Amino acid sequence: MRSASAIVAAVALALSGGVAAAQDLARGEALFEPCKSCHSLDPAKQGMAGPHLAGLKGRVVGSAEGFDYSPAFKAARAKRVIWDEARLNAYLADPDAMFKGGWMSPQGLDDETDRAAVTAFLMRGR
Amino acid sequence: MLRRSFLQLGLAGFAAPALIGRTAAIAAETTETKFAVTYFDIPAIKGSRDVTDAGDGTIWVCGQRNGTLGRFDPRSGQLKVVELGRGAAPHGVIRGPDGAAWVTEGGQNAIARVDDKTHEVELFKLPEGKARANLNTGVFDKSGILWFTGQNGIIGRFDPKTRKMEVWDAPRGPGAYGITLTPSGEVWYASLAGNHIARIDTGTAQVTVVEPPTPGQGARRVWSDSKNRVWVSEWNSGNVSAYDTLSKSWKTWKLPGDKPRTYSVYVDDADKVWLTDFSANAIVHFDPVTEAFNSFPSDKAGANVRQMDGRSGEAWGGESGNDRLVRIQTVKQA
Repeated sequence: MRSASAIVAAVALALSGGVAAAQDLARGEALFEPCKSCHSLDPAKQGMAGPHLAGLKGRVVGSAEGFDYSPAFKAARAKRVIWDEARLNAYLADPDAMFKGGWMSPQGLDDETDRAAVTAFLMRGR
Repeated sequence: MLRRSFLQLGLAGFAAPALIGRTAAIAAETTETKFAVTYFDIPAIKGSRDVTDAGDGTIWVCGQRNGTLGRFDPRSGQLKVVELGRGAAPHGVIRGPDGAAWVTEGGQNAIARVDDKTHEVELFKLPEGKARANLNTGVFDKSGILWFTGQNGIIGRFDPKTRKMEVWDAPRGPGAYGITLTPSGEVWYASLAGNHIARIDTGTAQVTVVEPPTPGQGARRVWSDSKNRVWVSEWNSGNVSAYDTLSKSWKTWKLPGDKPRTYSVYVDDADKVWLTDFSANAIVHFDPVTEAFNSFPSDKAGANVRQMDGRSGEAWGGESGNDRLVRIQTVKQA
């Protein structure tokens, strides 16, 4: 049987993890702010320069309804490439390296912590 | 601060300029004018995007993917690479009245000045509270003040003499993108997310929004011609439009092809309009007199020319997807 102190420590660890995760999400949301000039988080908002990014986790690349994608993203869609954390993190580091010829202006996120935070924010559960 | 720079040779895609063949559809326009297209590989400049004439026969080019500014000499194929600093991701470059290259350096959230003689890099950071402005494009007004945009919704000005920088929130939030100066001295910019163009009063910095006739058009870049008409590349609509700042009237044309995506616009010294269409993977020449389009598809997929500039008889662009420069020379026929 686990001691009371061990249980307290486990709960504290879980809580601190939750706090850290929440901080990551908040940081990711703040870092995502400039991206909102092209990307909405509302699937109903059409007519932006880039596709909406709502529900990105598990989504097929290049599949936002009604958006006219680049040939690079259309090719990824045809192959049923899926957005997951690892793929998004690598994409944010250097978008043009992953989907060469994509239309998004290819400024990557150099900082690993920043990338992880934006990835966590965009991959969060709905 | 002097950043690390080095010399290397660029590789010319074609040793000799290749005259592009004309199709029947464009033959009428090209009976008197021919164009010579040349591609130049510059692999040391990753994500080669905005370009400008350096004034001595060379061309400045931004390497957004690897934080560099290149200076390419098409006569020798020589390429000088200037490192702009840790985290650099330059978007735009223009030549200032002092002859230097002035860079809207989004990665370091700064205006960068690169001396044209020494290649020394000076950074002028945006003020506190304007982090991650996503700096986009700049233009000098007739008083020598640099005006610039940030896609995160800012406009700003920088006085190179006093080094004073001022930044304001753009009306209607994010989107401020291309910027231009008319011969009459007016500064105009486009708002991609805001779907408008706007004039900045260079005295008060007050902004007057003007709506293009096509709703949700995605006005991305602007360039003035010699008659004070501001030409607009419309990303969402696939149009090119022109706003006459004197008569306050619009004209609009749809680019040819299926679902065009008009990314950039540049007007040369003969008032011919150079556009880029991402759907067609092409540079598109438009003659406002004949209203004829003339398309120059790249010989490589995913060229993504995001901006053009030039000098008399030559239009230049950066193929950001291929790490190349493209030059189109207008060849007058006898």
